[in-house]
Amino acid sequence: MTASTPVPAGSQPFTTKDYRSNLKPIWCAGCGDFGVATALYRALAAVGRPPHEIALVSGIGCSSRIPGYTNCYGFNSIHGRALPIAQGIKLANPDLLVLVAGGDGDGFSIGGNHVAHAIRRNVDLTYICMDNQIYGLTKGQLSPTSPRGLKTVSSSYGSFEEPVNPLLYCLAYGAGFVAQGAPADMDGLTALIEAGIRYPGFAFINVQSPCVTYGEEKFQLKAQKLRLEKLEALGHDPADFMKATERARAYGEKLYTGIYYRCPSPAATFESMARERRQELQSRAASRSSILDLFQTA
Amino acid sequence: MGLFNTPTFSVQASLMISDLVIGMAGAGGDGIVSAGESLIAAAAREGYYAILTKSFGSQIRGGESSCRLRLSAEPILSAGGTLQVAVALNWEDFLKFGGELPVGSETVVIYEEATGVAPGQIPLDRPRPALAVPAPIARMAQETAGTLKAKNTVVLGLLSGWFGLAGESIRSGMRRKFAGKGAEVQAGNDRAFQAGLDYAAQHPLGSGSRRLPPPAHRKPKLLTDGNDMCGAAAIFAGCEFFGGYPITPSSEIMQFLNREIWKHGGVLLQAEDEIAGLGAVVGASFAGKKAMTATSGPGLSLKGEMLGLATIAELPLVCVDVQRGGPSTGLPTKSEQSDLWAAAFSAHGDVVRPVLAPITVADVFPVTVEAFNIAEQFQTPVIVLSDQELAQRKETIDPIDTARLQRIERRRPAAADLDPYVRYRITPDGISPISYPGMPGGNHLASGIEHNENGAPSANGAVHARMNEKRIRKLAPLGDRDDLFTREGPPDAPIGVIGWGSTAGPLIEAARNLQREGLAVQALAPRLLYPVAEKVYRRFFASLRVCLVVEQSHLAQLYRLIRMFVDLPCPCHSLARSGANPFSPEEIAGQIRSLAGLDPAAVPSTPAPTR
Repeated sequence: MTASTPVPAGSQPFTTKDYRSNLKPIWCAGCGDFGVATALYRALAAVGRPPHEIALVSGIGCSSRIPGYTNCYGFNSIHGRALPIAQGIKLANPDLLVLVAGGDGDGFSIGGNHVAHAIRRNVDLTYICMDNQIYGLTKGQLSPTSPRGLKTVSSSYGSFEEPVNPLLYCLAYGAGFVAQGAPADMDGLTALIEAGIRYPGFAFINVQSPCVTYGEEKFQLKAQKLRLEKLEALGHDPADFMKATERARAYGEKLYTGIYYRCPSPAATFESMARERRQELQSRAASRSSILDLFQTA
Repeated sequence: MGLFNTPTFSVQASLMISDLVIGMAGAGGDGIVSAGESLIAAAAREGYYAILTKSFGSQIRGGESSCRLRLSAEPILSAGGTLQVAVALNWEDFLKFGGELPVGSETVVIYEEATGVAPGQIPLDRPRPALAVPAPIARMAQETAGTLKAKNTVVLGLLSGWFGLAGESIRSGMRRKFAGKGAEVQAGNDRAFQAGLDYAAQHPLGSGSRRLPPPAHRKPKLLTDGNDMCGAAAIFAGCEFFGGYPITPSSEIMQFLNREIWKHGGVLLQAEDEIAGLGAVVGASFAGKKAMTATSGPGLSLKGEMLGLATIAELPLVCVDVQRGGPSTGLPTKSEQSDLWAAAFSAHGDVVRPVLAPITVADVFPVTVEAFNIAEQFQTPVIVLSDQELAQRKETIDPIDTARLQRIERRRPAAADLDPYVRYRITPDGISPISYPGMPGGNHLASGIEHNENGAPSANGAVHARMNEKRIRKLAPLGDRDDLFTREGPPDAPIGVIGWGSTAGPLIEAARNLQREGLAVQALAPRLLYPVAEKVYRRFFASLRVCLVVEQSHLAQLYRLIRMFVDLPCPCHSLARSGANPFSPEEIAGQIRSLAGLDPAAVPSTPAPTR
């Protein structure tokens, strides 16, 4: 069984409890990440893979603590490098369900290089970016998605920089699945994560996960509830790449949730092509023990 | 354990100096390196011991190129020193290689007649070679094959004729090589080779004549270089994942594995950068696979943080660093031994990361396999320090008895270990059974943040101290691994020499030559560089009155590393210089001779390295 062929809906042998660990999160009360964790447990229960067949990889940051709060195999790695590690896991064992989670700094600042390449390789990962527009763990500095002009402890007079647009980046990099959710709509967020997992290829889900301690008032959960506009309600067609791009450009101004783009004809994944190559070449192999025969000269 | 006392690099006390060292240089298109390759392939088929090194200008294509080939009926450990035969297709390019192609008073110099230089006027006179022989190489190529591209084939004919080198093997090898190029090219090439042979027969060298005795066993040998050997060792060891990024001079390891790893059920990822390459390896190791990356100095610098992650998450992996001249871009195509400290110490926090180094191309095989074994057994990253010299030189090699090599697998949790599973359990030997995603009941959190035995993040000082102690204590058995050292010469000899990597070969040959001269010298070649095996060094130093550490590093990195951990009971000197030109056995022997002439009592006890 592979990640893209999960247990059919309606026959789930697991409940959300099976995916939750007994570690107490270090997150501040009111942090959006609690909602992301809950939505993740629910989505995993809906998909129904046993926790030991799931690997959740993160980098460093508040949100990157999330693997420890699940009962899956977790890897809380180093800053910015969750995607390469997750690709190594998935390529080494394509039967696993591999998820990646982390903050906007992890994914679009220090680890920005890796997003483009994970996407163009189309490794079947579900990447959840918990986007809070701030560096929380280091106590409130600018992040790559901070709006221009934001005053923080590292931009006392306001930032000069345009924010990164994670949705537009991932669409441009060629991701087959691009979505945005918010913990203000738990059912919607759960459904997006589940849809991302079921998508047979790289899936990117940006989650507007407000920082209750250093974030701006207008981004908190209460305000989120009022701002949120569901793409589905707007009649958005997830197969329409150009429309997805147009709506993604409103990142930072509008808070659209839902699936921006889902490729109607998903491309082959790296690991499926690797499997084919192995099948093709394995018959030509001598045993590992006779590898030195390659150097014979007679 | 005896693992490293296999015939591939065993000590042959009765080594005869019955070898021929040939150096050739020409312009980029002259195919001089290709001629060297043809010669060593023929030598391998005939059963000769041979080493071929190549040297190029830094141009992407074209420019000058040279090679040096040492042939012997007996086992050899270095590419030799002064040339017995020098071939110059033009003088400008030959002279660019300077010390890499040293001409001495016994050298026979063969050169292109069209250079117009009279034998008495050649630009080599310090010292003047034994014989200078002009030959119409270009003319013969043009007349027989209709192209100057056949100049290298003419040279092969000349060398084969004058020095009795494996004519039929060269000819049949070239036929195979040109098989796809059409009958005309093959026939032209045949004629060019014959022209060289005939010219040699018609112009005997007289006093310059040199003949190589036939090999004792005419059994074909293996032929390869250190990078391909490293890739083969990874396959043998059971490597199922390679992640890396192209970098000179290590890329051929990735290229070899790209051809082979799929056939053995593995995967290769050419990553977007050095960090991602190692990151994917860390992930694959977490997923339960034996995994490797390969790089050179700049890549090792970039991989530092990820290596630290593998140390604290206790994940096995092998990271090969094919050293080149540094710092920064440095000398990408030339050898140096200056990454030792980076390999041992480029980590923040208290880290012990094993570092191994092979001493010959043949040795790359068991050393790389052992790197996997140590990684898997101790759940740690292991660095293999190869160098450009070993990585890109070709050697003929006796068959390796792979049945003698162990392949160690990581310790998996038994049923009792899973009830409940404690990933980082503090065990008597410090090694905790390791599960993998997919194993029921083995679920755990791996992390770069300090963690308790359960894997839960912890900032508690007592926990940190306990876990540091565990991670370092588990490696203690490495301190007794004297099988990872080659020690040879009389064990009570008062003079000792130490050298590693590609320097160990010429060092051991120097010691053997001096022993034949009657000087009591013993040599130590460490394959385990870090952690420093204090007991092994102490035993070596026990009988010494004076010691010399030889290495290609301006800062004398091994000399200082040993002194950091071992109190030296005798004066210990350093022969240390920057890279590019490898040491020759003569150079090292000269230094030992002058050291032997010293009264050890008169030598300061903590001398500065020779600069």
